[in-house]
Amino acid sequence: MQLQRKTLIALAIGSALLSGFPAKADLTVGVIVSATGPAASVGVTQQRTVQILPKEFGGEKVNWILLDDASDTTTAVKHARKLIGEDKVDIIVGPSLTPNSLALLDQLSETGTPMLSLAGSGAIVEPVDEKRRWAFKTPQSDGQMAQAIVQHMASHGVRSVGFISFNDAYGEGWAKSLGALAERNGIKIVASERFQRTDTSVTGQILRLIGANPDAVFVAASGTPAVLPQATLAERGFKKPVYQTHGIANNDFLRVGGKNVEGTLLPAGPVLVAEQLPDGHPAKAPALEFVRLYEALPNAGMRSTFAAYLWDAALILKAAVPNALKTARPGTPEFRKALRDSIEEVKDVVATNGVYTMSPTDHLGLDERSRVMVRIESGTWRLVR
Amino acid sequence: MNDRPHARHLKGPLPWLAAALLLPLVLGPYHVALLGYIMIASLVTLGLTLLTGVTGLVSFGQAAFVGMGAYTTAYLTTGWQLSPWLTLPIALLLTGASAAAIGAVTLRMSGHFLAIASLAWGISLFYLVGNLPWFGGFNGLSGIPPLTLAGFDLRGEVPMYYVILLCAAASFWGVLNLLDSRIGRAIRSIRHGGALAESVGADPARLKIAVFTLAAMLAALAGWLYAHDQRFVNPTPFGIHMGIEYLFMAVIGGASSVWGAIVGAVVVTLLRQVLEDTLPALLGQTGNFEIVAFGILMLLVLQRARQGLWPWLVERLGVRRPASAVAPMAMPSIRTLPARGEPVLSIDGVQKNFGGLVAVNRLSFQVEAGGILGLLGPNGAGKSTMFNLISGVLNASAGEIRFLGRRIDRLRSRAIASCGIARTFQHVKLVPSMTVLENAALGAHLRGRSGLVRSVLRLDRAEEARLLAEAAHQLERVGLWAQRDELAANLPLGQQRVLEIARALAVDPVVLLLDEPAAGLRYKEKQALAGLLLRLRDEGVAVLLVEHDMDFILGITDRLVVMHYGQKLAEGAPRDVQANADVQLAYLGAE
Amino acid sequence: MDLSIFGFLVQDGLATGAVYVLLAVCLVMVFTVTRIVLVPQGEFVSFAALTLAGFEQRQRPGLAWILLIAGGIAFAMELYGAWRRRTRRGLAVAAFSFLALPAALSAAALAGNALPWAAQVLLTCAMVTTLGPILYRVAFQPMAMASPLYLLIAAIALHFVLVGSGLYLFGPEGVRTAAILDGSTEILAMPVAFQTLMIVAASLALNLVLFAFFGFTLLGKALRATAVNRRGAQLVGISPDYAGQVTFALAAAIGALSGILIGPVTTIYYDSGFILGLKGFVGAIIGGLAAYPAAALGALAVGLLEAFSSFWASAYKEVIVFTLIVPILLWRSYAHLTVDDDHE
Repeated sequence: MQLQRKTLIALAIGSALLSGFPAKADLTVGVIVSATGPAASVGVTQQRTVQILPKEFGGEKVNWILLDDASDTTTAVKHARKLIGEDKVDIIVGPSLTPNSLALLDQLSETGTPMLSLAGSGAIVEPVDEKRRWAFKTPQSDGQMAQAIVQHMASHGVRSVGFISFNDAYGEGWAKSLGALAERNGIKIVASERFQRTDTSVTGQILRLIGANPDAVFVAASGTPAVLPQATLAERGFKKPVYQTHGIANNDFLRVGGKNVEGTLLPAGPVLVAEQLPDGHPAKAPALEFVRLYEALPNAGMRSTFAAYLWDAALILKAAVPNALKTARPGTPEFRKALRDSIEEVKDVVATNGVYTMSPTDHLGLDERSRVMVRIESGTWRLVR
Repeated sequence: MNDRPHARHLKGPLPWLAAALLLPLVLGPYHVALLGYIMIASLVTLGLTLLTGVTGLVSFGQAAFVGMGAYTTAYLTTGWQLSPWLTLPIALLLTGASAAAIGAVTLRMSGHFLAIASLAWGISLFYLVGNLPWFGGFNGLSGIPPLTLAGFDLRGEVPMYYVILLCAAASFWGVLNLLDSRIGRAIRSIRHGGALAESVGADPARLKIAVFTLAAMLAALAGWLYAHDQRFVNPTPFGIHMGIEYLFMAVIGGASSVWGAIVGAVVVTLLRQVLEDTLPALLGQTGNFEIVAFGILMLLVLQRARQGLWPWLVERLGVRRPASAVAPMAMPSIRTLPARGEPVLSIDGVQKNFGGLVAVNRLSFQVEAGGILGLLGPNGAGKSTMFNLISGVLNASAGEIRFLGRRIDRLRSRAIASCGIARTFQHVKLVPSMTVLENAALGAHLRGRSGLVRSVLRLDRAEEARLLAEAAHQLERVGLWAQRDELAANLPLGQQRVLEIARALAVDPVVLLLDEPAAGLRYKEKQALAGLLLRLRDEGVAVLLVEHDMDFILGITDRLVVMHYGQKLAEGAPRDVQANADVQLAYLGAE
Repeated sequence: MDLSIFGFLVQDGLATGAVYVLLAVCLVMVFTVTRIVLVPQGEFVSFAALTLAGFEQRQRPGLAWILLIAGGIAFAMELYGAWRRRTRRGLAVAAFSFLALPAALSAAALAGNALPWAAQVLLTCAMVTTLGPILYRVAFQPMAMASPLYLLIAAIALHFVLVGSGLYLFGPEGVRTAAILDGSTEILAMPVAFQTLMIVAASLALNLVLFAFFGFTLLGKALRATAVNRRGAQLVGISPDYAGQVTFALAAAIGALSGILIGPVTTIYYDSGFILGLKGFVGAIIGGLAAYPAAALGALAVGLLEAFSSFWASAYKEVIVFTLIVPILLWRSYAHLTVDDDHE
């Protein structure tokens, strides 16, 4: 039958299209970042960083496979399936976003593939249960960062705070972390507002915040969109402290914010102010090294704390891989398991965001050395001592 | 356009289905998963095909319905520990009910207004779900259980693929059945104007809501599969960008055919794959090249092949329609024709005002069984208005219209059709993508009873065979039997007009209303038409003929009513009317 | 809510609304002449702001590349058309507007010289305006006779192309351009920024200009004629292609102006255009995509609604604004039933 033969031909072409021939390196690491879509400003810096990542760990050649999930969870899961099923990666680094990382958990535990997430929320690794056994992350959790802010607030007499955040997963994560911590520290959240990344005006929200008369305002947004609430606050004559998150830490924020963002306080990984760190700070040397490499990249501009998370993931791998290699060869389930165990055992890995010491109950492994308070002064980031 | 369903009903899809069943044997797990994504997307685009290509409605909001299905099962299986098999009907019903409600409100809107409304509800639902804490907010719900069947765990790419394939195959089978049915023909007629569907007694508004609901339920099924395949849901996959992408898939594949749904899903997904694989070459560059490529592809398709890729493929593959296997056989008439000479339609003092203009002024006349009444008049005399008043398109301002003693001047078109009054259109209204036989069968709409569900499940076959036999009988009656398998679009105008009459006859009418049937016909065609009308008259059908072609009307009518400025100028036998001095002055003299 | 907050919200709503008015009026104009729902209208706004910001930072604006490439494609299409029709008519005009003009503007933009502010603004406006007819030529002219639905889908496809290239050319971060006028004055005992006043004034002025253009000039009347009857207009010597390109130039010019006006008061991103356009759209819909004053009022109403809903329920602002469109559409579709316009 003619149609059948055509079907077969089409089928053959289809399967030829579908099946590629993955190049098999010794150690394969899949990197999923959000280089396009709403979170592009985060993921782009990580995408760029892949170029300066180490080419070998413990004498073993590394093959980095970079994929962009376009800030979309379906795509993130699809990529993970490709990396696990086809490229037979030994570990996934990323995704950049919390929902995208959460979406991978089941798949990771079922295929026995470790992940070093680059996303903020603590929910990715807490609690370390059966599903999260394979999940690790490098960024300080929202809770840790929020703690830095709340501590600063408490010690500076802030009793009430007005909160405004993105109407998305980022804002939602911060609203939760801040809400829990503020209450414990006797700080009242007197107003909680949301805005869209592309909003052209947030006057309504800001009027609401100012109307509640808080001692300080906390803006939870990332990149340049975080400027608008602060600019509007300045326009309305708000003179009290304004806190932001580490999500704003790039030069574009300073450029767009200008004098409107002077005096802004934010928690950040030490890498943001690497040069100003006291010499005794463990993160100083690795941070300076990363800054040197990253800022030399074409079009890279200033260091990005988001890029540093990927760098730190590489540092953790560097510490963990040699151990795992003693047990099994890369590309096998045994190696993936050994790598997972080995990551869980890493101790005192000095990195740009602090010192990582993982344990069976802590798959982040950062302590308070992982964050500093920073203030924007005369258009630059200043370490608050 | 080749949306003839039963064409490839048995032979066509089966090799493909077999191939789909065997593919996991040769493909790696990732590619099986990819096929699963394609199938899930094709379910959504299948619904869009029904909406856009078949019914002429455009929706950018289908992703929201996918989300509704996904969130329903996610919420119920994680929060209430319900079995996924229980949440499937719940998700379908819930989404169906919401769609019916949204449809009832928005489907009145025409064309681009509806499309824009769908953009709006797509955005609204996205932010609504993102801010509702019990749905996990923007960070979503995780821990959705995998499907299990009789103790078998269906997690993993290959088992899920077969579940998805089963759902997709069943859905395509159902939709093909639907399109190849009484309801399906009515649905396919909608995009060619609601008046056509109404004229055979179908309710276009209800059918639109039904199609919209069905499309939403297909989307919900896709969402249910998605949720148990991904085991995680958050709002992003159901946002407006996905809604737009689904529509792109439908248009690229070819929205006029259900197979276009698969082609579109395959092309878009594979293209994305290719782009992702070549993207590392552009490492370090920021840019959303995928979106750019899709935009350009979409523009090219719209400019070069607006019908999409499927019709183009059909041409290349040379798929041919087999001849229909149907023998003409009349269905028993549902009415008894009144005795010859008995008045069937009485128009009594009917008036129609448009603002200050009186289009029809106190007009009275009668149409008798077994006779041909001609309604004649120069342009603007009010003939068409009168025609529309009788056929229920317009409501009279005053006066009464009775059919066999029953008042019908407040009834809608489809109710009038169900009384046994069938009509044709001045500008031919056929469904060009249906065959001549199917177009005639459209007329028999009211002579079948099978609804949407029976059609989808193919439980309507016995009745369907009777309807088609009746349509065949009418084709034989009007002399179009030989053309039964042609597409209506390919007929010359004269035969198209005759086909309209066949369709009207399939209504099993007592009265036939013909709106300028001779317009645009050549001499030979007119002669054939006249012969046909005379035959019908002899068979006892009453005919009301609106015409301004004097020669044609004089030859065949028994009686003439001449209208002028909305009023009756003369009435009587053709010869007497022709001799009437007023008529000569007003009408003939003017020519 | 006290009176001063109410006042601020009204002011904010009017300022935002004024921008939506400009978008809405363009959408109505483009739709009536070409039956295209111009989703990428917002991109004219964002590209203008991003380009001006690029000039301010002494960067080579990416828009120049779009202009050159799209212009090249447009001219190639003209050439092909001329070759098929075996005529050289119109080629000179095409060469000017699709090749020479974009090349000259791009050269000026890419030269990287420090330009005075006024020259930066002018060059930005000129570049965006030139882009308008090019986009019409490339994307819409080959399918100008298609139904509004297909044109709408094409408009969304074009929007995708522009936004995707926007990310590449302008990067993911936003910009704010230098203030045109600093300071504020008092109206009704309430401080009002000059910048806000300027936006409202410009919006008002442009509406009057458009009104005059369509009411009194020959070209305006010709465009209106095309809007009413494409074939008829063609018969009396107005080419629909020409009408479409002129309309797109106008829309792009107004979009550019809007971008320059709001650049200093808000942050604009490569993807700001879509949501701006949609909001203007909701306004235009209130006018049934046909009536200017109704569209303008509708757009103002959207601005006000947005200001108040961001005060009362900021998380649900988009939900409120976009749910509002449904009853309006419904009322619209009852108001004038055009049922059979949607099939080819």
